Amino acid sequence: MTRLYRSVILVIGLALTACGPTQIFPSASMDGVDKNFDFTAWRNVPNAQTDRKVQLGGRIVQANTEKGGLVIIVTQLPIVEQPAYGPKDNGRRSGEFAVVYSGALDPKWLAPGHRLVVIGTTGQAKAVMVDDVQRSLPSLTAQCVHIWRTAGREISDFPHNAGGGYEPLEEETHCVS
Amino acid sequence: MSPLLRQAMTVSLAGICLWSLGAAAWASESGPASRTPGPVPIVAQAETAAPVPSGSQGPTVLPPGGTSIEDLLLQKGSITMDEWIQIRAEQEYSGAESARRIDAIEDWKTRTELLPMLRDKVNFGLNALQFLYSHQDAHVPEGKSQDNFSIRRSELLFWGRISDTLPRWHALMEFQSINFGRETPTGGSGAATGQPIAATFFRESYIDFRPFQSWAPYMNFIRMGIFRMPFGIFTETSGGLRDIISSPYLTSVGSGNGNRTGSAGSIDFLQERDFFVDVRGKLFNRLEYVAGIMNNNNFHANATGANAPKSFYTRVRLFGSDVSWISFTTIQGESNNANTNINGRGKGAFDRYGLDFRYTSKIIPGFMVQGEWWQGHDGSNQTTVGRPANGACLDQSICGGSGAPGAQRRTWYVLAKYLISDGPLQNWEPTVMYEQFDPSTSMSNDLYTRTILGLTYYFENFPPKVQSKIQFNYEFRHHQGNGPGVAYDTTFDAFAQNAFLVQFQIRFM
Repeated sequence: MTRLYRSVILVIGLALTACGPTQIFPSASMDGVDKNFDFTAWRNVPNAQTDRKVQLGGRIVQANTEKGGLVIIVTQLPIVEQPAYGPKDNGRRSGEFAVVYSGALDPKWLAPGHRLVVIGTTGQAKAVMVDDVQRSLPSLTAQCVHIWRTAGREISDFPHNAGGGYEPLEEETHCVS
Repeated sequence: MSPLLRQAMTVSLAGICLWSLGAAAWASESGPASRTPGPVPIVAQAETAAPVPSGSQGPTVLPPGGTSIEDLLLQKGSITMDEWIQIRAEQEYSGAESARRIDAIEDWKTRTELLPMLRDKVNFGLNALQFLYSHQDAHVPEGKSQDNFSIRRSELLFWGRISDTLPRWHALMEFQSINFGRETPTGGSGAATGQPIAATFFRESYIDFRPFQSWAPYMNFIRMGIFRMPFGIFTETSGGLRDIISSPYLTSVGSGNGNRTGSAGSIDFLQERDFFVDVRGKLFNRLEYVAGIMNNNNFHANATGANAPKSFYTRVRLFGSDVSWISFTTIQGESNNANTNINGRGKGAFDRYGLDFRYTSKIIPGFMVQGEWWQGHDGSNQTTVGRPANGACLDQSICGGSGAPGAQRRTWYVLAKYLISDGPLQNWEPTVMYEQFDPSTSMSNDLYTRTILGLTYYFENFPPKVQSKIQFNYEFRHHQGNGPGVAYDTTFDAFAQNAFLVQFQIRFM
């Protein structure tokens, strides 16, 4: 009987673990992060909400190399749990923001269309060139970024629906040292 | 009254009338200016008194329209009211034109946004267009050539996403080798001899159904239709993303008719496609699973085959990283050799066990190694499509077929490649693969082996969407024979003689 109970507890434990939330960043990095940050309000008045540690998701528009790091321009997308964890395009345009990443990344991670989740600290609006147009975007100094190499597709399209066969999705977390 | 006098009076009256009208008009224009100062008089003043120095009258009252440049110029007397009105009229016309254009664009945008193509409901792409040159050392019958050009694949893919509940529909069409002749024309005749090879446009078609959004990705979706079967790695890899030109022996090997050893003839060990329904999901963010049931007769059975047998299959794939894994697959069920489209599987119990792995290095970017190992029993009385067979009877004189017992077959391969990402050899990728296929583990002298040396150059390489490349493969092939004591000649055996292949491919979706 004891063995049966242990087995049941093990199965329940595994099931709960299997259905638990996805953790893509180191636990220490997540301390004090506002996961429900109001992007729209920040987008409208960027300088009103500085020095806040937040988590945002989106799709990479472009990446510029600057002195001491990278500036990644991202179109904001909501982060969802289903059908696959990550930023999901719901068809509504919300706006762009700039991620300042003080490190180096392989260019393969910075291609337009890749999905990204970033945690970092909000800063002053930043003047950037997007498609040869000077724009002032709210900026975020990144602590960690997690990038999916989706190249414009949905995360949930992988691995079974990305091409005419099975194609695993490459993803990686990068943190500034 | 004389006519002359009458004319003079008429002209005089007309002149008086015209003078009166002119005087009245002049009076109506000039009159108010002298009566009422203010905004209106300023206009009149500006109109009638352009030379008057600015500021002499009404500078504190702004003209209509606010303080634009033309307003200021008007106030300072640099332009006349006529010019001011002309400027404003041009501005208004220009504004109306812009508004009209914006309205037109908005209207167009609204219309186009409704197009299924822009809502991801309908997409199409080129799964693979491949032009192949091949040379084989094996001799060929008269009328055929050892050197061949062919369109290996010409596959157009159509797909879309209807909703979160129906996340994918998919159809793949193959446009090569439709009703081609098996033999080349002979004796000056224009007609091809032999049976035509009946291929079909229809290659893949399936529907994905996600009944519960909140269950994804743990129970992600149900797939039903025809598609690449989730057996190992190679079977499930798109023809436009493969690292070598030939398919490994695990899909098909050998040629000719079977015999009682179970070692001879063409053997389709694993079908690439079939009719199936299965469920797929992911647990712990590390463990993918698939479980389903299929007809076990390949997709050709859609038109001609017997769909009686059913097999259960399942695969679990454990990820070590996002792109490295180890998987276990099994197929359990029944095989049917009567009119089946799978060669040489016999009648009765049927099983397959598979193990596969892939290691994609993060330490050495561009390096990848993968392998598969498969083993399984066929039913007894294996036969080849087109030869008589009747159930599991092992007496060939009565039942037809090969009379071979259900053989246990085994195969494995290992493939490694390295994509050079910088320097003068950038975008070149050397590949090496070794494989074995043992048609019957209980028989000797029947082993197939092959080593493939490959070199690929990528013109564009953004998998899975885009991959244009040229591949050079040299295959060292060896075949021991068709079992112990069976006469065998390698001269015409393509699996016993080396081959060289060059393939140019475009893939875009």
